Amino acid sequence: MKKIILVTLAILPAVVAFAQNAIPSPNSPTPVVSNSAPAAASDVEALRQQVQSLTETVKALQQQVKDQQAALQKANLTGESGLPQNPEPSPIAGAEGSLTPAGSAPSRFPTEDTSVVSSTTAPAASSVPGVGASPSLGSGSFPTTDTSVVTSAPETISSTGAGASLTQPITIGGGKAYMNISLDGLFALAYSSARDLHNIEVGDHDPQQRGFNARNTELAFDGAVDPYFEGFANIVFKLDNDNETDVEVEEAFMQTTSLPFNLQLKGGQFFAAFGRLNPTHPHTWDFVDTPLVNGLFLGPDGLRGVGAQTSWTLPLPWYSQLIFASQNGRGSTGFSFRNPGEDGMFFDRITTDREARGLQDFVWIPRFENSFNLSDTQTVLAGVSGAFGSNETGANSRTQIYGADLLYKWKSSHAEGGFPFVKWQTEFMYRRFQAGHGADDSFPVAETFHDWGLYSQVLWGFKKGWVAGIRGDYVDMQDSRFTDDLDRQSRWRLSANLTWYPTEFSKIRLQYNQDFLEQNFFLSAREVESVFLQWEFILGAHGAHKF
Amino acid sequence: MKKILLLLPAILASSLSAHAKLNVVATLPDFGSLAREIGGDKINLVVLAKPTEDPHFVDARPSFVVSLRNADVLIDGGAELELGWLPPLLQNARNPKIEIGKPGRVQASQGIRLMNVPANVTRAAGDVHALGNPHFTVDPIIAKAIAQHIAQSFSALDPANAAFYDANYKKFEAAINAKLQEWGAAMSPFKDQHVVAYHDSWPYFAHRFGVSIDIFLEPKPGIPPSPSHLTDVIAQMRAQHIKAIIVEPFHDRRIAEKVASSTGAKVVEFSQFPGGLPGTDSYVKLIDTLVSRLAAALK
Repeated sequence: MKKIILVTLAILPAVVAFAQNAIPSPNSPTPVVSNSAPAAASDVEALRQQVQSLTETVKALQQQVKDQQAALQKANLTGESGLPQNPEPSPIAGAEGSLTPAGSAPSRFPTEDTSVVSSTTAPAASSVPGVGASPSLGSGSFPTTDTSVVTSAPETISSTGAGASLTQPITIGGGKAYMNISLDGLFALAYSSARDLHNIEVGDHDPQQRGFNARNTELAFDGAVDPYFEGFANIVFKLDNDNETDVEVEEAFMQTTSLPFNLQLKGGQFFAAFGRLNPTHPHTWDFVDTPLVNGLFLGPDGLRGVGAQTSWTLPLPWYSQLIFASQNGRGSTGFSFRNPGEDGMFFDRITTDREARGLQDFVWIPRFENSFNLSDTQTVLAGVSGAFGSNETGANSRTQIYGADLLYKWKSSHAEGGFPFVKWQTEFMYRRFQAGHGADDSFPVAETFHDWGLYSQVLWGFKKGWVAGIRGDYVDMQDSRFTDDLDRQSRWRLSANLTWYPTEFSKIRLQYNQDFLEQNFFLSAREVESVFLQWEFILGAHGAHKF
Repeated sequence: MKKILLLLPAILASSLSAHAKLNVVATLPDFGSLAREIGGDKINLVVLAKPTEDPHFVDARPSFVVSLRNADVLIDGGAELELGWLPPLLQNARNPKIEIGKPGRVQASQGIRLMNVPANVTRAAGDVHALGNPHFTVDPIIAKAIAQHIAQSFSALDPANAAFYDANYKKFEAAINAKLQEWGAAMSPFKDQHVVAYHDSWPYFAHRFGVSIDIFLEPKPGIPPSPSHLTDVIAQMRAQHIKAIIVEPFHDRRIAEKVASSTGAKVVEFSQFPGGLPGTDSYVKLIDTLVSRLAAALK
């Protein structure tokens, strides 16, 4: 008798695709699942009747299968029938009425729903055990045997070849591809009381002139290279103040995915993992412009370069990671290091521009970061970073930058779209810069600058899509009577902004900046007010951002 | 620092010796609840998202990296619901045991026929999921299939307890089968009735229980309700005498209340996740609650 039930169930899946009655009849007999229940004497007669009706049902169903196979072929759906193209029951099914007699069969409920079962063109389901059968754990390549839910014709789905799983259906408009490709456009309309806005804003992707700015149009690619590596690339197209296009390979690197002991290696052109902001791209920033300390210590383009990095997440109960990188540190993206400067001058020294003499000429960048959850809704992330190398202002002059950063975030336990939240982020940096005698000992004085600075910002996402922010910036540059470099002026800045994210793929931001530049031996004090209207779009598949 | 280095061997040793229980991570509370049904006290379970928060936007907290790094099993939806936060976590977790294709990775949507697969993927249509609607666990039959995947994964990784997982799966399956009749009976008087929802999270529930949840307060998925759209919704609700508006814990209930007060409909708080509503600490209790709440509102 069990056999008959099993046969019925084996045939059901073939019919399943054409059935659609979702509501179980309240007076359906006991579900088939109970086929292991011991039969009492009084049950035998009832069961016998059921078997009788089952046999009839089987015959009816067999006929239906034949009919509907023919109908299917007519409908020429063979190629696509396994695909969930249409959530609505197939129009050719028309089986609801004709299946009514089967209502007397043991509950067919679980297996007859087109919403969960993809149609199959072949009644090949006889090898699939029925619902009531044991799940037969561990056997077979496809784990689920519940025919009511599984797609019973996997080969019609895995079009992407061997190894493709059922979770990778046919690519629809680039839904699944070998890599994510996205284009990000970031623009700003700027007004400033300073005509030389490029001297006030310290970042290369910040607004640099009154009027319209398009300094960060970015192509981003990322994806799995093979089972061992992932690849990332960010190519930035920057329109300068004369509307000429500059191209930057901002980042292009590969990293390992399967090293043991929680290790990861990375190699290529990449942002140094120094602090919170430096490793991120401008379009992810919470403000229009670079904080002073980042722009003046790590450089207008951030500290990035060609190099290699290894990182290790420590086997501790909390998040703890050690990162160690080495980069050439050469050129303007190694700003405080082997940077020949504009027109061969840095802090008024004529710079050397030499090849690396040894390991001491590379920039070495360690970082240690830890994170704790203060509660279910509150997270803290704290880190210390360093960057050590030589600079070009003298034969043996060196630079050390130390950083400490702290992030606190609260997000509501009932957050919709990630709102509401409060985020507080602070970064502190100290730079020791040995300014040497310049190339060929041309500058009369060697001096060591002890500079420090910090920024602190609070972002409040008060409503879905809306964020208000406030930021304070300060940089203290050690006084020098020997250089009038504009970059050595101590200064501070207050910023406030309001951002609207219509979705996570666009934003519109209004920001107000008040800058105060302090007097020094060469430069007079200045006060500058600026207003920016920034807007952004993202097209395509953009990799998710880190915390 | 030295102290930490001294502690390391101790922690390593303890983490090795504590290997007796499977470390299971579920991205969402519905998968977590099913894992608990199957794994009982034989697993250590960590659920990343909270039952009351929007599953599309969960913060990729660094502590999740630690959970994923230590995981023997990861259960995720596999249908892009967690697309905004899971990939960077996995990248940082560096755990080969939970790679796709390994027994330690259960992708709940595997083998499930997803509904509402868009023919053309365009963001002009709002937050559309290319693979189909990812809110599928609220269909009890799909939940059975997921539970079975989970049982199979657990058994493969912990053969000593395979019989336990198998028995728990059968118990869960039997419970669902028995309940289906009850739920079906409770909902059958309302067959084909229209219901309004804030977000399109309910096609599987609607299809299973024969109601039609096809009008949404959001003009497009993920786009906040606009006044003009709400006017349309109110007109439709009046024309079709719609009696219920479904909201989830993270939605702005005031908007739903406003629409309800101008149409005479009731606001029904729903959740896709066990734990998202009071008294729903298990999957069966959740569906019980959803069915009875909706039936009461439609009466």
